[in-house]
Amino acid sequence: MHAIAQTLPAWRVSSPSAMTRGPKRPATGATAGPQLSALVAEIADHGDREAFAALFSHFAPRVKSYLMRLGALPEAAEEMAQETLLTVWRKARAFDPERAAVSTWLFTIARNLRIDALRRERRPADLEDPSDAPPSLAGPHGALAALQDEKRIGRAIATLSAEQAQVIRLAFFSDKPHSEIALDLGLPLGTVKSRLRLAMARLRGLLDEPT
Amino acid sequence: MTPAPAIPSRHPSEALLVDYAAGSTDQGRALIVGAHLGACAACRDALALAEAIGGALLGELPAARMAPDALARVMAQIERPPELPQPKPAAAPHDWIRVPADVALAAKRRRWAAPGVWVAPVSGRAGGPRSYLLRVGAGMSVPRHTHAGSELICVLKGAFTDRGEVHRPGDFVESDETVEHTPRVTADGECVCLVAVDNDLIARDWVGRLFQPLVRI
Repeated sequence: MHAIAQTLPAWRVSSPSAMTRGPKRPATGATAGPQLSALVAEIADHGDREAFAALFSHFAPRVKSYLMRLGALPEAAEEMAQETLLTVWRKARAFDPERAAVSTWLFTIARNLRIDALRRERRPADLEDPSDAPPSLAGPHGALAALQDEKRIGRAIATLSAEQAQVIRLAFFSDKPHSEIALDLGLPLGTVKSRLRLAMARLRGLLDEPT
Repeated sequence: MTPAPAIPSRHPSEALLVDYAAGSTDQGRALIVGAHLGACAACRDALALAEAIGGALLGELPAARMAPDALARVMAQIERPPELPQPKPAAAPHDWIRVPADVALAAKRRRWAAPGVWVAPVSGRAGGPRSYLLRVGAGMSVPRHTHAGSELICVLKGAFTDRGEVHRPGDFVESDETVEHTPRVTADGECVCLVAVDNDLIARDWVGRLFQPLVRI
């Protein structure tokens, strides 16, 4: 069997984690959030609109909430949330549930749409350049097998200290640089960065253990 | 025949990778990190972890209220065929590490700056945060300088030495205003770097002050 990824049209290969469908592997049965990835599979295999509506009702409001936290106005956040879900419909066949969680995929689509939108605001004349969304150069080689397991990631985050969880949430859900986050928390910048580093190291350790 | 790519030995900080995953790095810095990621499987793994955390946190955010016709509008668009595939992005020279599309495209905008030196603007503009490609010939050095803010570099081809260390393709090098240096390209061949700066370089000697207006970096 030839590598399927090579025959995919370029527009399907979208996210930085390169969630292209590789050659089929035997199911491990270890996926969490199975209902979410099953919904994506229904969309991919059968164009199932009910599955899409279920995904939409779960994710669209959260994606909108995410984008508003990053500073998007409600109308723009609404449009980008709709576009995020439209992208899910169109690229469902390129999603590989063994490499990433559905929520990760949605997160990267929404993030990339926002980066593109910010860029258009700043450089309206420059329409020729391709998108500067983080480039999809190659996927991870998958050292952390648990990354497709949404529930396990959630449980790992729940074990962080309050301080560590706070800096992680601020890093993802505020549009401020670390220096301003540090000012807001009344902490030296070095403390914010070391908390972030420790939190990531802890999560990596937890997610690297076999179940 | 190009030898197998080496594993980069210098990497972006965890904080920078998290920012990149969160989409909050500015364009120039994102390009440097992106170029490094193309060459570094370990950092791609770290990025995948950060993105998975972003995804998990997304799931726990409170739901915002969507427009009443939101689903209907998206369903209506589903009927339409998807947009045409994007045109194939410009290709970078084959002897560079893989680079983001913006960077490959910028290589066509190269301009002569000094003997053995060319630059090509990639993003941003003079006097503010921006990024550019810099090509320096074998054995040449960049005049002694420091920075008003940070400077990120990813080596795309060749190698240079700086403060006793050799930086090779894929290496990610961060300097700030506390660093005053005279990077020198190794004798083996030309060196091409992708550079992002917060602001203009500050030349530290007369050669640099002569050189800077020509190069505009």
